[in-house]
Amino acid sequence: MIRVTDLIKSANGTRILRGVSFEVPPQTVLGIIGASGSGKTTLLRCLNGLERIDGGMIECDGLQLEPSLSKHEYSRRVNELRRKVGTVFQHLYLFPHLTVLGNIIEAPTHVLGRARKEAETEALQLLESVGLKEKARRYPESLSGGEQQRVAIARALAMHPALLLFDEPTSALDPKRSAGLRTLLRGFVERGHTMVVVSHSIGFLDGLADQMLYMEAGEVVEAGATDQVLNSPRDPRTKDFVEQAK
Amino acid sequence: MERRRLQIRFALIASILFAGSAHAQKPLRWGADPSGGAPYVYNDPSHPDQYIGYEKEIVDALAAAMGRKAEFVPSDWETLVSALQRKSFDVIVNGLEPTADRQKQIQFSKAYYIFQLALTVRKDEQQIHSLADCKNRTVGTLGNTAASRLLEKERIPMKGYADPVAAYRDLELKRIDAVIMDVPAEVFYVSKNPKLKRATEPFFRGTYNIGLRKGDDALKTEVDAAIDKITNDGTLETILRKWGLWNDAQLELRTPGKAEQKNTEAGYDITSAVFNWREAIWRLARAAVVTVLIAFGSMIIALVLGMPLAIGQWKGPRVIQWLCTVYVEFFRGTPVLVQLLFLYFGLPTIGLAMPGWLTALIGLGLNYAAYESQVYRAALEAIPRGQWEASYLLGMSPVLAFRRIIMPQAFRIALPPMTNDFVSLFKDTSTAYAISVWELATAYRELANASGQFLLLGVAVSLYYLAMSLPMAHLARRLERRLQRRDAVEAVEPE
Repeated sequence: MIRVTDLIKSANGTRILRGVSFEVPPQTVLGIIGASGSGKTTLLRCLNGLERIDGGMIECDGLQLEPSLSKHEYSRRVNELRRKVGTVFQHLYLFPHLTVLGNIIEAPTHVLGRARKEAETEALQLLESVGLKEKARRYPESLSGGEQQRVAIARALAMHPALLLFDEPTSALDPKRSAGLRTLLRGFVERGHTMVVVSHSIGFLDGLADQMLYMEAGEVVEAGATDQVLNSPRDPRTKDFVEQAK
Repeated sequence: MERRRLQIRFALIASILFAGSAHAQKPLRWGADPSGGAPYVYNDPSHPDQYIGYEKEIVDALAAAMGRKAEFVPSDWETLVSALQRKSFDVIVNGLEPTADRQKQIQFSKAYYIFQLALTVRKDEQQIHSLADCKNRTVGTLGNTAASRLLEKERIPMKGYADPVAAYRDLELKRIDAVIMDVPAEVFYVSKNPKLKRATEPFFRGTYNIGLRKGDDALKTEVDAAIDKITNDGTLETILRKWGLWNDAQLELRTPGKAEQKNTEAGYDITSAVFNWREAIWRLARAAVVTVLIAFGSMIIALVLGMPLAIGQWKGPRVIQWLCTVYVEFFRGTPVLVQLLFLYFGLPTIGLAMPGWLTALIGLGLNYAAYESQVYRAALEAIPRGQWEASYLLGMSPVLAFRRIIMPQAFRIALPPMTNDFVSLFKDTSTAYAISVWELATAYRELANASGQFLLLGVAVSLYYLAMSLPMAHLARRLERRLQRRDAVEAVEPE
């Protein structure tokens, strides 16, 4: 679904990503762990085109992003990429002036040009799948953090992305709600979605991610099946991180 | 009397005869400052809708002699000459003396009145008996008049006033020790005031002439002929006697051999006039309409023009950013009064003359656009970057994201400061009085000067302003509340 090869990203003269490579097969979940400042969030921002890459390559669903592309061609491809990739930010960034339903149908109606009625019907189905159908007419501000997050997920899904990116999805959730979210996301994977999830929480990724990737200082220290990375890490640095996190 | 009636009949016949001729029917547009303008020209206290004054009567007589209709254009004393040059009217008749500096800019007709100066003191004053006694005192007078120049020449400490009422009031209140004023104003204000007296007999000699644009020679010939006519046939004397301004010095103006007309009418008594409140309130209401129109018109300009300015300064290319900043700093950094004067008197020199109300509307609009642009910019910058990014990631273009996501949120932030600006714009419309727009502040100054009802008219004018600004503030608050979410907000778990 998505393949990243030797990805390099610099900002203000420092390398934030120093040659990151991985591949996410369709209908699987990749969990990315690592300390703050390890480059996880920057990596996500490269995957959805918010940051321009300085080296390497991103391939997604037949689309390639390389630094050698002209500025114009790069942004054209980024626009295309964004049709395939949906993002749920740590801070969500719901649109406060629109209702829950308005948040979800905004892009389908104004970007894809779909009929409002049709978009609403689908949005209500999506809301039902995240358990928020009865809050469709509310404003985001009046919802709890967990509810707001599910609105953000529904908003991303409404654009039918091939790949979903999550940045720290559990940062605003208590353990019980984290478990609920994991079940919800797993359900979406069963129905054909592919995900990349960045998180501090090893407990959350255990049971959600098929593969894990441990990053430190902009490099991939260890990658492999979730069970292997969490239970028998090969690299001592991974071992340290996992043990401390547990 | 018989003769006068004949003359009026002649004027009537003449005006009917000339009805077809555009030139002869062109009204004689004359400018003067009616604010505190008694007895020259001022609002009739019993009919605030009308102007009266001995000069108004003189102009009417002149116009009749010329076969024209007189049309009065209320203006501001300080800017009369500039207003004449920008063709706001065709002649100045406002007790204007043909001074050397004025003669550089405009030309003058023959004299129609010989004036003297009168020195006024408080009734109990013992020490001042002549101008020479004022060497170490403060003397009040109008700015840029024969009297003020005389004081400067004699090195007597002077306090300048915009109108005689204020000067005489300050004299009564002992803020100054004497007032020197042209006799017509002195006769009008002092002769009925028990607290004031003449310090000495009138002295000095000067003339009042009609001011005309340089090059308007045909009009000058016409005006001079008309002055000759009313001087010699006694019309002028009748008017001056009516106002208590006649004296033998005026005989000098007559063509030899014609000085025979005698007339004795009672002097005009201002204290007998009763201020007509109903008309005054009505007049204020119409001034309020002008105020509202200027305020709303200029706010629309400000709101519309503020947006490109804000975006240009915020996201535009460097040159545009720079130009927008220059615009904003220029309009914020210079007084709006100066801007209005510039637009009103400066632009006509490059061929762009707008009426006063339009100048005020556009000037205030341009000025407030600078402020609105900053309100917009602050509001736009207050929207988190994440809102833009979230929009982009959903596939929106920058324009779409701006229109659908950023603008509506920024509007909520901008609304309270915008309301504030509108209320102060409302009050700033009063600066339009400087370019002689008949709005509320001008109306107040003029009516209060004519009647002396500063207190009650002030209350009335304030009520007008409040009646307009309070509903607006109320509406804005309701809109703000509507934009705030009505749903009860559940606590959002902290991170």
